Amino acid sequence: MSKLGNVIGFEVRRNLKKKTFWYTSLFLPVIIIAVFAITHASSNHASSSSQQQTSSYSKTAKLGVLDETGLVNKQVLLRDHIVIEPNEQAGIDGVKDRKLTAFFYYPKNVTQVGIQVFAQDQGIAFTPPYNALASQLLSQSAVATVSSATHDSEAVQILQKSPSVTATTYKNGVETNGLAGIVAPIIFYVIFSFFVVMLSYFMISATTEEKENRAAEILLTTIKSRSLIIGKILSIFVLGFVQIVIIIVPLLIGYALFHNHISLPGGVSLSHIPLDAKAIAIGASVLLLGLVMFTGILVGFGSLFPSAQEASRYLGIVILSAFIPLYAIGYVVSSPHALIVTVFTYFPLTAPSTVLLRNAVGTLSTGDALGVLAMLLVTATLSILFAVRAFNYGAMAYNRRISIKELFR
Amino acid sequence: MPSLDSKNLNNSVVDVQSFAMNFGRKEVIKDLSFNVKRGEIFGFLGANGAGKTTTIRTLLGLYEPTRGTLLVNGERYNPNMSANIGYLPEERGLYRNEPVINTMVYFAVLHGLSESEAQKRAIAYLKRVGLADKANERLVKLSGGQQQKIQLGVTILHEPSLMILDEPTEALDPVNRALLMDIINERQAKGATVMLVTHRMDEVEQLCDRILLLKDGSVALYGKIDEVKEQFGSQIIALNYSGKLPVNDKLYKVTKRLPHHAELVWSGNINTDEVLHFLANQHDLHITTFEVRRPSLNDIFLELYKDQEGKNV
Repeated sequence: MSKLGNVIGFEVRRNLKKKTFWYTSLFLPVIIIAVFAITHASSNHASSSSQQQTSSYSKTAKLGVLDETGLVNKQVLLRDHIVIEPNEQAGIDGVKDRKLTAFFYYPKNVTQVGIQVFAQDQGIAFTPPYNALASQLLSQSAVATVSSATHDSEAVQILQKSPSVTATTYKNGVETNGLAGIVAPIIFYVIFSFFVVMLSYFMISATTEEKENRAAEILLTTIKSRSLIIGKILSIFVLGFVQIVIIIVPLLIGYALFHNHISLPGGVSLSHIPLDAKAIAIGASVLLLGLVMFTGILVGFGSLFPSAQEASRYLGIVILSAFIPLYAIGYVVSSPHALIVTVFTYFPLTAPSTVLLRNAVGTLSTGDALGVLAMLLVTATLSILFAVRAFNYGAMAYNRRISIKELFR
Repeated sequence: MPSLDSKNLNNSVVDVQSFAMNFGRKEVIKDLSFNVKRGEIFGFLGANGAGKTTTIRTLLGLYEPTRGTLLVNGERYNPNMSANIGYLPEERGLYRNEPVINTMVYFAVLHGLSESEAQKRAIAYLKRVGLADKANERLVKLSGGQQQKIQLGVTILHEPSLMILDEPTEALDPVNRALLMDIINERQAKGATVMLVTHRMDEVEQLCDRILLLKDGSVALYGKIDEVKEQFGSQIIALNYSGKLPVNDKLYKVTKRLPHHAELVWSGNINTDEVLHFLANQHDLHITTFEVRRPSLNDIFLELYKDQEGKNV
């Protein structure tokens, strides 16, 4: 096996044995699962509790109604033992005098001013579904009116439940994937973000361990610094791959089991994810070069410091720069030619996330894509050279920080 | 100062010519030339800050020289030559949180051994130095002396033809120091060349064929130990005594004085008999033992650095 292979094998093995690696790897999926489970349980509980409360409330509440629209179905009111009030003030007084639990007032111009609800305060622990009931009363009446007037069951169904929409979009006369087209290329952005957040500490501390342990000197007489740095970078990628597998396997299992039941916003179904070869190729290339660039910068940066603890103080600055484009997401998505988007697209530290987002939402031209890939290729190469130089100079500065000026003197 | 013997050039494992090194404005090495011959144990000596470690690091390609050439086996060192080199640096260090055996095997494989061979040799070495039961312990759990033995193991496991050992016996007790001396001697007996940096002059006298003593970035002494002693000067009288040692500037000068031990050097035109006769006739001085000998390397070292005494020796 080559020395490079030995470095990768050794680094991967020893990092896989570290508890911190598994803590950070399992932290995210555990949090995702926990949040999902809690949200799901809480939502189910709230829904069931609300249904119970509404049902119980509907049975026990004394309701009054004044309908100036003439839309509310009298039979529905009679069915539910709802009192019709002579005027608005009488209804309000009924609530104030506790004769009514709630009073719903439907003014003539209800579509403009809305339904007025007056009700007893039941305390903060229980919020009765006044608004839902008032609205439901009107919509049920409307459905009943349409039903009796047209006898058209489809029209009634449409009123009761909005039909699903399937959109087909075209660009330059060619059918596009619409919102569903975002799913595959956005995965590259997610992976990039994941790598930067989860592995940046491993990147910045990749060489500080050798310095802290005083092993750099013997290593540098045994293996070329370039091979060592490349080996360390590749081992970080392997570790990142392991972490992604840890996260993705449960997601894939979930997808396999539930893909027909899960829909994303905008009616995008996970049962059919369109794959655009060009977008995927650009996404994969930007991801790879962006990661190499970031890793090179962080490994090199770490080499300038005597300890991982000292180096990691500056980690936030680099991570933040990767995510700054998110603050301008509106421009990135809707105004790709805005100056700020152009700057983010071509500034090395912000380029990967900006370009991956633009690639996903379809606002990245082929020219921009090629320009950014060329720029990333150059900066990724320079970042590796920086890392090698920084390690060469910093490796034996055991107790002090090397300045950038000193590095290029 | 003897110049480099050009006849021995082909026999040189290490060849340093006109080496100078500046760090910023500070001149660390002024003009250094020497060679280390194949199969010898070469003592590379000097006080702290004399430039020994800088020279070794530059020889091994860790620093770029300001001037001069530094060759190992006739070429500038690069890590592809590491199969032939065993380097024990002054700044000790391995992976503290890794099991001992993993670290030893990793470095041995980087030095060119196969993994199975590295494993075999590592286990054999650990048995030899009494640390077989520590093979799967993390290095950080071992004592300083035990870690030192592991570090030496990393240096020699691949059986290099040139070993550069920077203070190898530091932190070792006498038993382990003797063990390490045995290991170094064994390696030399098998044809290895050893470049030894140490402050222990007794080790140098026991082990080294030739020495170079570096002072302020220049060569102060260079050659075989006998030659260096010859070069340095006259013999001394070492006395163990009780009573009072008189002062006699006409006959001798006291170079070292302890409560019951003294070392004297005498003037060039006076012989040893006259000094001993004078001392023997002192009523309040009782000489228990005396020895006429050449100065030890320790004496020479101290003499050379006398002006810096108390500063950094």
